[in-house]
Amino acid sequence: MLSRELVKEALRRALSTGADYAEVFAEHTLSKNINMISGKTDKIADAVISGVGIRIFQGTRCVSGSASSLDPEAVLGCASKVANALTGTAVVQDILLRERLFGDVHPVKIVPGSVANAEKIDYVREACLAAKDYSEEISQVSGSFLEVDHQIFIANSEGLFARDRQIRSRILVHSIASRDGENQNGAVNHGARKGLELLGEYDPRELGKEASRQAVTMLHAGYIKAGTMPVAIENGFGGVIFHEACGHSLEASSVALGQSQFAGKLGTQIANEKVTAIDDGTIPNSWGSMNIDDEGTPAQRNVLIENGILKSYMIDKLNGRRMGMASTGSSRRQSYQYEPTSRMTNTYIAAGEDEDSDIISSIEYGLYAKSMGGGSVNPVTGQFNFAVDEGYVIRNGKICEPVRGASLIGKGSEILMNIDMVGKNVARAQGMCGSSSGSIPTDVGQPLIRVSSIVVGGR
Amino acid sequence: MTYQEFKEAVTGYAVKNGIADYELYYEGGWSDSVEIYKEEVKGYSTEESMGVCFRCIVEGRAGYASTENLTEEEARSLVLRALENAGSIESEEESFIHKKGDDYAVCPKEDSPQPSGAELVEAALSLQKELYQADSRVTDGTQAYMSYSSYKYALCNSNGLDLEDEFSMAGCYGIALVEKDGEMYDGFENKREKSLQAFKLKEIAETAVEEAVSTIGAGSVPSGKYTIVFSNKAMATLLATYSSVFSAEMAQKGMSLLNGKEGEKIAADCITIIDDPRYRDSMVKRTFDGEGVAAYAKSVVEKGVLSTLLHNLKTAAKAGVKSTGNASKASYSSVVGVSPFTFYIQSPEERPEGEKENHSKVPEALFRKAGDGIYVKELMGLHAGANAVTGDFSLSAKGFLITEGSKGAPVRNFTVSGNFFELLKDVEVLGNDLEFIQGKFGSPSILVRDIAVAGQDA
Repeated sequence: MLSRELVKEALRRALSTGADYAEVFAEHTLSKNINMISGKTDKIADAVISGVGIRIFQGTRCVSGSASSLDPEAVLGCASKVANALTGTAVVQDILLRERLFGDVHPVKIVPGSVANAEKIDYVREACLAAKDYSEEISQVSGSFLEVDHQIFIANSEGLFARDRQIRSRILVHSIASRDGENQNGAVNHGARKGLELLGEYDPRELGKEASRQAVTMLHAGYIKAGTMPVAIENGFGGVIFHEACGHSLEASSVALGQSQFAGKLGTQIANEKVTAIDDGTIPNSWGSMNIDDEGTPAQRNVLIENGILKSYMIDKLNGRRMGMASTGSSRRQSYQYEPTSRMTNTYIAAGEDEDSDIISSIEYGLYAKSMGGGSVNPVTGQFNFAVDEGYVIRNGKICEPVRGASLIGKGSEILMNIDMVGKNVARAQGMCGSSSGSIPTDVGQPLIRVSSIVVGGR
Repeated sequence: MTYQEFKEAVTGYAVKNGIADYELYYEGGWSDSVEIYKEEVKGYSTEESMGVCFRCIVEGRAGYASTENLTEEEARSLVLRALENAGSIESEEESFIHKKGDDYAVCPKEDSPQPSGAELVEAALSLQKELYQADSRVTDGTQAYMSYSSYKYALCNSNGLDLEDEFSMAGCYGIALVEKDGEMYDGFENKREKSLQAFKLKEIAETAVEEAVSTIGAGSVPSGKYTIVFSNKAMATLLATYSSVFSAEMAQKGMSLLNGKEGEKIAADCITIIDDPRYRDSMVKRTFDGEGVAAYAKSVVEKGVLSTLLHNLKTAAKAGVKSTGNASKASYSSVVGVSPFTFYIQSPEERPEGEKENHSKVPEALFRKAGDGIYVKELMGLHAGANAVTGDFSLSAKGFLITEGSKGAPVRNFTVSGNFFELLKDVEVLGNDLEFIQGKFGSPSILVRDIAVAGQDA
């Protein structure tokens, strides 16, 4: 992407005013998003993203710059601009760039860009048509196929010279059911760090049916009565509870500045002893996986919480300096335009020992959250919230009628202590996580869990 | 190559491939920003960005391709990719390249000078100092940000349109952290101005710190139905989240319940919603939309009646109306959609007949009307807990109790639930304290009754 000579000169310039570390990140990304509505392709976005991001550190101070170009002139200009923010003289002299090859543990069988639109469109159409056929109450169906071919290059003043190519594909189906001027929706999505072979793993008709089943179920559901109650949260996207309630507060970007409820808590109990949680960027072909992070550190499997005890944060190089700790391979950025920082990859609560049936039957009155929507958190206070897309009332240990409009809110440190039953069957699901370094693909996951008490918003 | 050279190369390839209708859209800009932690510069960033999008219409169908690489090879690839994509579109609704002939507003050239890096740092350090001085309980983790950014949008097409909008703004953001008995509380304030000098740093700091301090010791509330005063910012947040329901594109796709409701009463009499591309206090002043149609101010809801949905050329043609100049692109690489410019609920005093009875700039007048209830200062988790298709929302909130007509104790960890469409109809009265969020969505405070609240039950 960039020649060794150019990179060396850019690093030299970036270091010329006293920085003790410099890094060049370059990117060339192809992305395509095919959208279908009413069974017909409606819009196709097709983009080339290409540019450079340069950072220098002086102690814990960071200067960064970016430019939408890979021209030598633009790269060197960016390096000079970054250096101009400091006023010292060079302290790092010789940079010996050694090319390093990281193995690719995420093989891709069919590079999506090498296949014409038609094949992808046919798949999405089949899913959409099955969704529409599910019921007469389905008023609208949209679907999309997203492909990203993200090539990155990273070099730094420690001698790193590395690259990676990250290919991701994702299929989404969204159904709307309508009755008497009311709408409800349902959605299904699957994504992976894979090429077009992803599509072969799912019957498109089943995806469509599932999205519509959810929409129609919710259309016939009443509102849940608000209150504080026990909640059983299903596996898969249910893991968003850990992602929001805890994961963000374990990112060094919050911890290093004392902006996290879990700062200074390493080695102490922060969760119920049934909870073990892991952030693993190495799972082959998983949506949130990578070979190297966006600072060139190999991806790792980080045990965050073990039997309730806080074991590790997720750390990037810059915040690691502030904390006096090494990177955990957690530095990520949406693109060269964003400064990288510590983020999650594939984060999940590990399997426990409770039977699913015992979890449900233990609840006298509460909520079964079968399918979760998104959520958000304030890492400072730990206050989080998320939406329940498909919920059911539990009465006398039995799952009863569906309920709509429920949301769960609470405080991370409290909810973690209240996860008092953990099932055996872990499943993961895909999401896009937005934070200061942009929107990045992450997996969430868990087995079925019980939260003994949580505020459920409803009517 | 330069943008001008790239433009010529793309035009050449378009003509060579027999494309008669096409458009090249450009978005560029730069931004310098500084971040303060404790009393030091933590980060300084300088960014330049640029991208172009080629859009062609073949047999009424639009094909797009975008790039950030201005090379001869990329010019060729851009045209071929867009052509292939146009060929894959099956939707029968016609897309258009806009014709000349609109009357475009002229925006005065800005003359505020660009601040130097040192000035940016100095302003941010001053804000940080004000944050610490505002209250003795302010703790580390408190941060000040200052930025200065410049934006340029250009559009040219095969019908000879050649348009350009350019503007700059300074941004300021303070986050205050306060610690009490091992619990942390935060508050924010964020402002945009034409120049760094225009920021009232002390005021910004005090607002952020006050927000954090005032929540100390916040409890929850029992579940039930309450009279609610939504703060101006909380209501603006709801309006922002639900702004897509006013899009004709969403309506035509059956994804907005306002479909076909033009001319009907959809809100209380006191509600008038305006979309203005050059709102007087906005830093962003646009003269054309994402398809090159002249942008103008319009009321979308007039005294409770839906006067129009927002249109681009495609949705307008389908509905048999004129475009409202609301074609939008989230970024240069996005496909054309529909969205508002500066979008706000008018406060009573801005109405021509100007409501005289209620001139308070603060929500206290609404507290008196509420009697007992909850003042919702902030809503959280909008992207998850609010659904534009159904109108349902169930959102995490924080604020204060309203007791006998006055602001009482702070409360948090509760949700407010309802439906946006019902809420619009149920608004009883508006305050006179119009305020904007994201520099784009605005509302005065509002009073509504009988809203479901979930809180901590014994």
